[in-house]
Amino acid sequence: MNQADLSKLVSALRIAVKPKPRRFSCPEGPAGRLEKLRATVTALVKYERIELNHPRAEEAQGYAERLISDAIRNGDCHKHTMEMADYWLNEKQLVHKLFKVLAPRYQNYNSSFTRLVLGPKTYPGYYVGTAILELKGNPFPALQPETHNYHYWLHNVLLEEAKKEFRSARQDRNAGTTESVTAES
Amino acid sequence: MRQLFANRTSSILLQEKCDEADEKSVSKQKPGDESGNTVVVAPPEFRFMYPEFLPDPAMERRNRLKEKLERIDMLQRRSVVEIPEFYTGSVMAVTVADANSPNKFARFVGICIQRGGSGLRAWFILRNVVDKQGVEILYEMYCPLIQKIEVLRLERRLDESLLYLRDALPEYSTFPLDMEPERRLNNSVVPINPLKVKLRPRPWLERWERQNLQGVEDLNLPQRFYDKAEKVAKPWEKYDLMLQYRKTIPAEEQEKIFSDVHSQLQQQEFKRKMRRRRGTDNEQ
Repeated sequence: MNQADLSKLVSALRIAVKPKPRRFSCPEGPAGRLEKLRATVTALVKYERIELNHPRAEEAQGYAERLISDAIRNGDCHKHTMEMADYWLNEKQLVHKLFKVLAPRYQNYNSSFTRLVLGPKTYPGYYVGTAILELKGNPFPALQPETHNYHYWLHNVLLEEAKKEFRSARQDRNAGTTESVTAES
Repeated sequence: MRQLFANRTSSILLQEKCDEADEKSVSKQKPGDESGNTVVVAPPEFRFMYPEFLPDPAMERRNRLKEKLERIDMLQRRSVVEIPEFYTGSVMAVTVADANSPNKFARFVGICIQRGGSGLRAWFILRNVVDKQGVEILYEMYCPLIQKIEVLRLERRLDESLLYLRDALPEYSTFPLDMEPERRLNNSVVPINPLKVKLRPRPWLERWERQNLQGVEDLNLPQRFYDKAEKVAKPWEKYDLMLQYRKTIPAEEQEKIFSDVHSQLQQQEFKRKMRRRRGTDNEQ
């Protein structure tokens, strides 16, 4: 059993974190894995919605969430956070975007900052397909329609009542015809 | 209540492989408690003083109920035996109940070279050189056989793990067995001893040049050792945010755990102080 590392204070992430990290096959080995994820995280911060393979998307989601949560917790004057932002974001204007745009945007969020939506895969699809990784609060139209139960809206109430009336009328009609049939027989 | 105490004896002579030295963590000054809500929050240095209250960060082994029960048991044990604040580099004396010794107690003095474990399995290793023989004993802090833990000198060193003392000159690990507790000049801050230890000539138990040790004097090795260390090093791990995350307990959880625990710990400390004061009054 190990003791928890005390040197850094870390915010809790609001995504499901798997116990073991995924290894990606790269010619450079473990160093290359972080290089690939760096490119993904940079693209996510730059474009705010990217489509990529699911395994890479899941890993990059964790790193992006960590980066944003550190930026919110520590701010840009914190030396370690700035070093991490400098490493993870290949374009330096995105470091400004992280601290000046994304950190204030997600300041009061109680949920995760990113959303991972499964994308299409070719049939029969024995592998995990593509995924769309996006930052919440992005300016694009939503990927998934909002599914809310608006049963209390007036037209839905009226429709429900109309359905009930129709069904009860049909039952009466059926009852009437069977009675007449039995009466005849 | 199920028995959560470890069944192993507290004294085990060790010759184990060592872990990589962790980065040093500096103890901060005690700030005031957070105001606003009625929830009491422990001061931030609690995580350095009582690191064994934090659970094992490995996700597969987390069990909130087990951790809560363990904390209750730990506080119960602490109400019986005083387990003082100590760090790696502090000189301590531990008295253990021993059926085979003539006094029925065995006392050992040594410097704490490593501490680990979480919950009731928290342990620390004391090292001393007795009759020119280096001796290390691993004590489990919550073992019922332990009668007394005294901190003779409370200080910190530049590294979190002093396993290199095994390859250092013996004078750095020698402490007199009848050492008296030293009085601290400044009670609020734990001093960091900037001592740089001199190692014996090679061969060593570990490749110290690969571990970025702060508390060791210049190793004076041929350049090929440092070249190989660079080749084998993993500099990208410093930037691996998810690796760090999986090794730590998040700050919100830490606050929750210590807010549960710190009021009881403070009460225990207060009671002990009153007992001590009453003891001195009675003597007078």
